[in-house]
Amino acid sequence: MAVHRLSLNPSSYKTRFTQRFLRALMKINKNKNRSSTSSSFQEIRRGRRRIKIAADGSMASAVGSKRAWSRAMLYKLRTRTRHQAWVRKISTAAKRKRDVGNKPEEELSRTDDLRRLVPGGEAMDFCSLLEETAHYIKCLTTQAHVMQSIADFYST
Amino acid sequence: MERIPGSGVRSGNCRDNKQEISVEIFQIGEEIRRLMTENLLQEAPRPETGSSFTALLGLPENQAMELLNSPESYDSPAILTADIWRERGKDQKTLSYPFNCSPTFPSNAALVERAARFSIFAAAQNSPQTSSVPSNSSENSLKLKNETTDSESNPTILNKNQISLKRKERQKKGLAKKSKNMGDESSKLPYVHVRARRGHATDSHSLAERARREKINARMKLLQELVPGCSKISGTALVLDEIINHVQSLQREVEFLSMRLAAVNSRIDFNLDSLLAAESGSLTDGNFPGMVMPSMWPDVPVNGTRRQQHHNQHQQLWHVDVGRDNHNFISQPNSLFSYDSTN
Repeated sequence: MAVHRLSLNPSSYKTRFTQRFLRALMKINKNKNRSSTSSSFQEIRRGRRRIKIAADGSMASAVGSKRAWSRAMLYKLRTRTRHQAWVRKISTAAKRKRDVGNKPEEELSRTDDLRRLVPGGEAMDFCSLLEETAHYIKCLTTQAHVMQSIADFYST
Repeated sequence: MERIPGSGVRSGNCRDNKQEISVEIFQIGEEIRRLMTENLLQEAPRPETGSSFTALLGLPENQAMELLNSPESYDSPAILTADIWRERGKDQKTLSYPFNCSPTFPSNAALVERAARFSIFAAAQNSPQTSSVPSNSSENSLKLKNETTDSESNPTILNKNQISLKRKERQKKGLAKKSKNMGDESSKLPYVHVRARRGHATDSHSLAERARREKINARMKLLQELVPGCSKISGTALVLDEIINHVQSLQREVEFLSMRLAAVNSRIDFNLDSLLAAESGSLTDGNFPGMVMPSMWPDVPVNGTRRQQHHNQHQQLWHVDVGRDNHNFISQPNSLFSYDSTN
């Protein structure tokens, strides 16, 4: 065990994410234990959403503010509760503007798809969008691996 | 000038001709220095580097290019010195040529790069100097433009410009491959040094376009390496499709995993220390998909962990039989080992 602890890099994205994620899971578990565990669909959905938010938040904070996508994701998470309605209004207005605009909708806008996928991708030029996508892919794979190992560990 | 003898040493990795020619350039550089102190270029602000090549850049364009073309075209240095003498013989005002051709600035940047590569500057000093020099060279050339009043020297000047353009093309042909090295430097510099290639347009707009395209192509290559199965695909659109699919699948995977964790969450007894030990075991031994980390991100030492993985997997094989018996939470680390060996 000591060997493995030594071989673990204390400052890599993986360890930082793991620590934060586990801490968040503990918090969620504590809250769950306090409240009643009802198995209605809404509760399940809410619990699932909470874990996803914990995962994304811990990933973004593990990356820090160095990357545009992590900053965008953190901002979205922090203003999520209060400004949900506001954001929805803004997005529908933007969608309406785009439909009215001159750009033909039939052309395959792969760039736009990518912008929608990567957090904060709307406001970047193509070159930095590619860079952010690469970093985002790497962090997503890390996140998936850690979560997979945690899930495997707890489902035995 | 004191750095020029170093060039003879550093160009040892180049061919021997270049070594001799660099020595010749040393002499030519002295000539130019003397020329410069004689004529109008005195009031041009000396760049703080003050090396011989900035002196070269203060010169008229074609002269400097003649000098630097010598190693490329392997002209005899004697001819070059003859040219210099010819120039000296002319009226001093002719040295301030009208820079009416647009490729002035890119070629000056090209000269700077050539100078940098030609090992007058030390490798470590390349970035600060090459960034300072273009600004100064552009200042110098602007001043030269303003000072030109001579009209009768124009026909000869035009001839020289044509010759210089031809020489420039020859120069670019040999120097096109250095754009890659410069690309590495440009990531640190405020200026992006772009090389004009032979047979391509040389105005600043297309150069900027080309720089941007090269940046985009470099990033696309990185992405192709990251996304598995993308290196065989050719064409930007299909690669983008693959990338989008990959990102979507990763996001869906994270969602499914979070759903699974939500289901499992009730059975968790959190003991953070043992968890971290267990997690460290599983994470270092787990198999990452073939991720090739670009050197652009030195802060994520995934390569280090991958090396550890290979090391640990050897140890894992010993633990397989031992771990299989202990499938309870008490001996968590062992169960983790067995789990990962089955992955």
